[in-house]
Amino acid sequence: MNDDLVERFHKKYEVLSGKVKIASVVDDAVAHVVGILNSGNVTCIAVSALPEFLQRPIEEHCSSAGIEVLKPPFRASQLPGAMDRAQVGITVPDFVIAETGTLVEFATDDAARLVSTLPRLHIGIVWAEQLVAQLTDAAPRLRAVFSENTGNCVATFISGPSRTADIEMKLTLGVHGPEEAHAIVIMDRRPADG
Amino acid sequence: MAEERYDRLKAGITEALAEKPKRDALYTAMKRGRDSRRAAVAARPDGDAFRKDVRATKLQCIEKLPELVERFAGKVRERGGTVYMAKDGAAAIEYILDVCRRKNAKSVAKSKSLTSEEIQVNEPLEHNGINVIETDLGELIIQKVHEKPYHLVFPAVHKTAVQVAEIFKKETGQEIPPDAGEIMKVVRKYLRPIFLNADIGMTGANVGIAETGAIVIETNEGNARLVSSIPDVHICIMGMEKVVDTVEDALKMVMAHPVSAVGQMLTTYVTFMAGRSQLGDGEGRGPRETHIIILDNGRSEMRDDPVFADALNCIRCGACMNMCPTYGVVGGHTFGYIYPGPIGIPWTAAVHGLEKAGDFAPLCISCGLCKEICPAEIDIPMMIAEVKDRDSQKHPAPIVNKTLMMAENFAGLGSATAPLSNWMLNNSLFRILLEKTSGIDRRRKLPPFARRTFTKRFRELPPDTSSKGRKVAYFVDIYANYNAPELGIAAVQRLREKGCEVVVPPNQKSSGYPFIGYGDLKRARETAEHNVKALIDFARRGYDIVATEPTAAYCLKLAYHKLLHSDDSRIISERTHEIFEYLQLLETESPSPAPLKGKRFGFHVSCHQRPMSSGLAAMEWLRARGAEVELVETGTCCGMGGTFGLKAGALGYDLSQAVGDPLFRKFAEANVDAIVTESSVCTIHLKGGTGMKVYHPLELLFQ
Repeated sequence: MNDDLVERFHKKYEVLSGKVKIASVVDDAVAHVVGILNSGNVTCIAVSALPEFLQRPIEEHCSSAGIEVLKPPFRASQLPGAMDRAQVGITVPDFVIAETGTLVEFATDDAARLVSTLPRLHIGIVWAEQLVAQLTDAAPRLRAVFSENTGNCVATFISGPSRTADIEMKLTLGVHGPEEAHAIVIMDRRPADG
Repeated sequence: MAEERYDRLKAGITEALAEKPKRDALYTAMKRGRDSRRAAVAARPDGDAFRKDVRATKLQCIEKLPELVERFAGKVRERGGTVYMAKDGAAAIEYILDVCRRKNAKSVAKSKSLTSEEIQVNEPLEHNGINVIETDLGELIIQKVHEKPYHLVFPAVHKTAVQVAEIFKKETGQEIPPDAGEIMKVVRKYLRPIFLNADIGMTGANVGIAETGAIVIETNEGNARLVSSIPDVHICIMGMEKVVDTVEDALKMVMAHPVSAVGQMLTTYVTFMAGRSQLGDGEGRGPRETHIIILDNGRSEMRDDPVFADALNCIRCGACMNMCPTYGVVGGHTFGYIYPGPIGIPWTAAVHGLEKAGDFAPLCISCGLCKEICPAEIDIPMMIAEVKDRDSQKHPAPIVNKTLMMAENFAGLGSATAPLSNWMLNNSLFRILLEKTSGIDRRRKLPPFARRTFTKRFRELPPDTSSKGRKVAYFVDIYANYNAPELGIAAVQRLREKGCEVVVPPNQKSSGYPFIGYGDLKRARETAEHNVKALIDFARRGYDIVATEPTAAYCLKLAYHKLLHSDDSRIISERTHEIFEYLQLLETESPSPAPLKGKRFGFHVSCHQRPMSSGLAAMEWLRARGAEVELVETGTCCGMGGTFGLKAGALGYDLSQAVGDPLFRKFAEANVDAIVTESSVCTIHLKGGTGMKVYHPLELLFQ
């Protein structure tokens, strides 16, 4: 499903210095996450509201590997400090724009935004069915989320790792936000949550 | 007063010219900006058609701005945010100080906001004991050394890694290698506690969406995400012109901005923020607030101004800076007050006063390229001419500008007194005298005058009795009339060969472009009216108007109509053609034999051709005659700027040479026999700068 869009996203995200892993099913995605966690000195990760079928296996791995998992609900009294300890943040973006290589996240709690902002490495797990072709396709989705949420609401476009060229026009990654940005695209249909 | 101001400006230029490494860094940055933009635009399926779309959207939104701002403010309040409409900078600052006092704030972490710089918010905050930290890397660097941004998008582009490493060594006490990556690691560590502990986060907004009450903040670094999410109090300061109607409108801006600035499709992060969210569950440090300050500060007046209203369409991408030839040499400290570069001239006039804008407006050499790159197609050159014009009511223009605006009178005299005048132009004593009295640089080699003008020679041409299909009225202009009549004659012959009846309407004057360039719009309009009147009967009788001088074609096709807005000026515009664009229309079969076979030329496009043929027609015409033609360009003006490069000293010849240097090098490195350009003034500049032969394409067939 959406093979062509996945291909376009893949190319663009890599041009933006992001890394893309294609997973056939959820289990493959979890394996990719484990692979990333094992490749660095990870002692603490933060996750946003993941569906149970992702949360459970990731937590199981972390518990066996001695990795602390910060997950919602996040205690306001411990923020933002607690989140700053996480080296990896894992989120499930709400949709993806292929043309621009963009993960789009909706949040009504700023703690969720911090999961993809503070850690040095961000992993976004998405499904191929969530891809839209181009930027203009984002408009109805943004409109919908802002009308559903009549109070506070934040939508964030994330297109690769944090970057700057402020010193001698040299591209450097990770100045404030993640230095590494991974997108794992699951080709299978998204299972019902639970 | 006027003298003092020019001295200051010249000192700035001289300083910039002396700092070669800084100049090279700036040139590289600007060129990369231009090149990346061009590549990104070329890769878009619709090319640069988005500019029309952005302009139309902005125009619509500015048209109903008061209503949109009301709607936007209403939505923000519905979502629990606070809105403050600030009539000026002082009011905005007072409001921010109030919030700080109420919150007992000790620190403010800022993400980049030009609007906060416009009202200079940092100083009063610091004066009140509040620690203000810029978190955008470039802004942080210049904050540490108490400078103003050098460039809109790259504020610290003039600092080397060595200098930046030194700045942060002083700040952290840590040895830092002069490497962007290493410095960045130190900065990440240095700023992290500031993000985590700031009492207030302050951002700007690239867009405000009336439909949703959301602000949109774009960054590549992600600092705006942190300052808008962590601190309990968020303050956003935005110019009122940033409000658009719909989500779709906002997405157009969000795309046009980075494409134009650096050739990116989107900035890495785009945050659409509505209302204020909690940070985690349960009891936090304090209530979560957002304050949206909508700044007027002269914008309402701009909206009512027939000329400056166009500046409200600016989306602050900085592309005009990347394109501007003189900005690319002197940088934003000389070419700017707070808002730098071309668009900085009208913006400064509107929000910081005409006087401050007039201080750096003479750096604009009227090449017009800023309009051609602007994503909102803003007529920046015409606004700058207006600034110069209004400013000259208070400060009379220098003598040299007046001389150049009278160029036609001098050319007439030079021609009438040739060859004596030519001997004088080559006499160094005379040139010193000329420089002293008229301000024309003694180093500039000027083209000789022809004793028999084109007008005279045309009258002596044998009448053309063959039957004709098309009718052409030839617009001559100064150079072809007084200096190179053979060029005009060649134009007539080529047109006749293609079956055109050619007339030279009497009473035509030179184009008068210097009046626009130097800001005498009254006389610019008089000249425009004069020439339109001289041509209109022909145009109405079905004559096409053809010009050999690019700037003349530009005036007839574009500038006059902007000055006059009349039916007549519109007709003239519709009927005007550049010579080669016209000849190409008439060329039905390839000429044979190919008289230019084996020749290699480097082609230079005059800036004023960019909105017309871009020189493509002339290049095609030469190629059809066997020549190999390579476009040689740096992506901006050669630096001559019409007559600017004739002027003596820093604000003229010196600056013009500095702009031209990279182009001169490119021509020297290109494997070509000669340079070809259609512009008479570019010819002067390129001859002097390269020492190579420079031809008008028409000349190549009669040498």
